[in-house]
Amino acid sequence: MNAIEIEGLSYSIGNKEVLKDINLTLQEGRFLGIVGPNGGGKTTLLKIILGILKPSTGTVRIKGDSPINAIKKGLMGYLPQALRIDLNFPATSINVVLTGLYGEIGYMRFPSRPHYEMAMEALRTMGMEELAFEIFGNLSAGQQQRVLAARALVGHPEILILDEPSTGIDVVGQEDFYHLLKRLQKRLNLTIIMVSHDIGALTGYVDEMACLNRTLHYHGSPVHALTEDVLSRLYGRKVDIMLHSDACEKCARLKRE
Amino acid sequence: MFEALSYGFVQRALIGGGLLALFSGIISVFVVLRRISFLGSGIAHAAFGGVAIGFISGINPLLSAILYSLLISYGIEAVSTRGRIAEDTAIGIFFTASMALGIVLIGISRKYNVDLFGYLFGSILAITHEEALIGSVVIIFLIILIILISKELYLITFNEELAFVSGIKIRLIKSVFFISMAVAIVLGIKLVGIILISALLVIPGATAHLLTKRIVRMIILSCVIALASVTGGIFLSFYFNLPTGGTISLLLAVFFFMAFLLQRLLRDGN
Repeated sequence: MNAIEIEGLSYSIGNKEVLKDINLTLQEGRFLGIVGPNGGGKTTLLKIILGILKPSTGTVRIKGDSPINAIKKGLMGYLPQALRIDLNFPATSINVVLTGLYGEIGYMRFPSRPHYEMAMEALRTMGMEELAFEIFGNLSAGQQQRVLAARALVGHPEILILDEPSTGIDVVGQEDFYHLLKRLQKRLNLTIIMVSHDIGALTGYVDEMACLNRTLHYHGSPVHALTEDVLSRLYGRKVDIMLHSDACEKCARLKRE
Repeated sequence: MFEALSYGFVQRALIGGGLLALFSGIISVFVVLRRISFLGSGIAHAAFGGVAIGFISGINPLLSAILYSLLISYGIEAVSTRGRIAEDTAIGIFFTASMALGIVLIGISRKYNVDLFGYLFGSILAITHEEALIGSVVIIFLIILIILISKELYLITFNEELAFVSGIKIRLIKSVFFISMAVAIVLGIKLVGIILISALLVIPGATAHLLTKRIVRMIILSCVIALASVTGGIFLSFYFNLPTGGTISLLLAVFFFMAFLLQRLLRDGN
């Protein structure tokens, strides 16, 4: 079954066309990376998939349903790019993770012991158990990302949608994070969509790559996304990509030189 | 202390004021975390227009003020979300326009004997039996309501998009919050007056936020600070013959600066 089906989607703000004629289908259990330049519409596309924004034209189906219904069924977990909360916001890591269960708990009810255990379990999965009672605002960007991932996972969604922050996360930590996601994908048969700036780092982990700059310039196997033709169309000029794996031809070439 | 308690008007002030303190203690936490102090203070000033409409038309001024405040908060939201006007600009326009309307209406009515002073600076010691009873019932209802939606309110305050994806009805929760805030503001007018209502909406939450970063503790502390200031202010004003609204607001400010100094000392100590 298809997890996501997008047909003829476009999105405009005033006269500015942010997304144009997007068609994209993603099967269940696949890991899709979306890359492209800043302002290319990556975050906007995620928000449309999540139902936060409504497309100007076209349709989005999540497991055959509208995004709003998918949300009601708790099908999607979301990790936003940046929270813009201040350092002093009164929330511990476990508070943040628990908010991921609020929809499930329902109105006029409060989290109880099993919910705390679920939140703890999600933090453990992300390796953040020891920081469960730390103030969220005091954590590093990488730690915040893991807590938010635990939050996105705690309600056992079928589709995980992640918007990677462009700053503040070190490369090594990020590769561990991708590794963890890859394992979760296999273990839970999760469908994952991840927006990233780091095309090179992501390549070794995703099943499919989509290159987005206002419209989709490529969607397919990650290795073929790295051809000079695709990349120059995507970024508007010639770019060099460094792969963090043995498959990196450019790196090898650089080493030889 | 016990002498004051034997007066009916002091009892009524303490019960009404105490309940309102608890309520604004909770509301204040979200006002501070959502950074909408200016909106709260704007709505309070705009309520003056509603009070004046009540005077002119013969409707209970508190009732007309509540309805008018709700109208204004929707107006502010409508103008700032649909138009291309920043929210603080919209607040500035609506609040001055409403106050101006109030001043003109009261000028036309030539009823200078109305206790305008009471609305501007509060008149909690002049609260009637009926007002105390109705006010208390309304506030108890609102306290329960706000506690019931506190979980959703917390998530919306943390991040609206996350709340949306969790399936929270953001508009509904925000509407309940704004209605509660408007009612708290208008009832608070009786306690400290239009001019000083921001003190009750902002200072308890801000003070609690200096002292803790745990949400439940923050709400409890905020309520304690509001309650201590309101009851302390009522007693002090009774014994020393001071204006009650001003005394309550000054006490709140004293608590804030004490917390500020305490927090600085603790931080420097580490």
